[in-house]
Amino acid sequence: MTHVPIEDMESIAAGERPGQSPVEIATHIAQCAECARELAWLRAEKALMARRPSPPTDHLWPAIAARLRHPRRRPHWAVRVSLAAGAAAAAAAVLVAVFRPGRPPVPAQPPQREQQAARPVRPRAAIDPKTLAALDRAEEDYRNAAKVLEGEYERLRPQLDPDLARRWDETLTRARAQLGESRAVAADDVNVRMRVLDGYAGYLRSLRYVVQESEEANP
Amino acid sequence: MLGARERESDEELLSRARAGDPEAFRVIFDREAPGVRRFLGDLLRDDAAADEGTQETFVRVHQRLGTLSESGKLQGWLFGIARMVFLEQIRRKRRDAVPPEPPEESLATDAGPSPEAALLSAESDQMLDGALAGLSEERRSALLMRIDHGLGYGEIASAMGWSLQKVKNEIHRARLQLRTHLAGYLEEGAR
Repeated sequence: MTHVPIEDMESIAAGERPGQSPVEIATHIAQCAECARELAWLRAEKALMARRPSPPTDHLWPAIAARLRHPRRRPHWAVRVSLAAGAAAAAAAVLVAVFRPGRPPVPAQPPQREQQAARPVRPRAAIDPKTLAALDRAEEDYRNAAKVLEGEYERLRPQLDPDLARRWDETLTRARAQLGESRAVAADDVNVRMRVLDGYAGYLRSLRYVVQESEEANP
Repeated sequence: MLGARERESDEELLSRARAGDPEAFRVIFDREAPGVRRFLGDLLRDDAAADEGTQETFVRVHQRLGTLSESGKLQGWLFGIARMVFLEQIRRKRRDAVPPEPPEESLATDAGPSPEAALLSAESDQMLDGALAGLSEERRSALLMRIDHGLGYGEIASAMGWSLQKVKNEIHRARLQLRTHLAGYLEEGAR
């Protein structure tokens, strides 16, 4: 007989009847040190698991019953943000599709204002006004979505733990400052403007997280 | 003697729960919640998060009762949902700025003289926690579904979204890792 299949070993360790003949298995195990060791481990495993206490769960039921009676509705801000951010993301995706293929990327310029002031302005290729308009619209949509979330966060903020609120304030302020700086140097450079849109998307994700966590902290 | 609640089969309970009987769903909760809570506790290693995850799991189970086609697979389906809830909680935690605490290594070094006694000593829970913490999330999930909750290999495959062969391989490797860890403990205890 080859080694005993693991399922049969597990059945024996659990005190259940194995699939193969128990006598044949027992005979094999008596002669096979490897299978005997495997069975000993499985029994030890079983014994360890059986010793673990069952955690109490009765206290969890009332909240479940309440949620089943009154399912959570999607908060109003989530609908507004989804609409605005969805439109902005769609516009950004179209811009990516239009601009990436066949056009060499413009090297990223570090936002060093002193150097920029000293250098003459580099002439850029003319950009389709429709593209610029689409970028403006996408950015506006992101800004609108951010305003909704910022308003929601302001509403929930007074009930938050002050330390947590201060940390979130710092994070959001830093993100806004970075966005502002990027936007200031972007001018009509499409590649930089696209990166600004990416920045807005990231800012929105942070805001959404902060609002969701604030709501859960203050149901 | 078993009461009517304990005697009712999963099929009967699911049928009543799908028909909107709240008492039937409560019985399902009473039967399955301790296992789900322990599973989530082992994965999350945080009591409050495991409580929250258990509640979320059962709310989703209730919402999706109609999608379970084979009532005999209730447990595998339920653990699959619990694992999804766990993964979502982990993603949320990772977005937070505070890094998670590393798992505590709490292996005792002054256990009794016999390895067998050491294995089943009062510290066995801590020892097992330490050993489980050393496994990847996926391996830990699959192993626990098998050895702690008694799910069949097919049910685990369904819950994890794996092939049957992968389930067997992963559980085998998880067992080897677990045993290496436990063997180290036993050797220390025997010294």
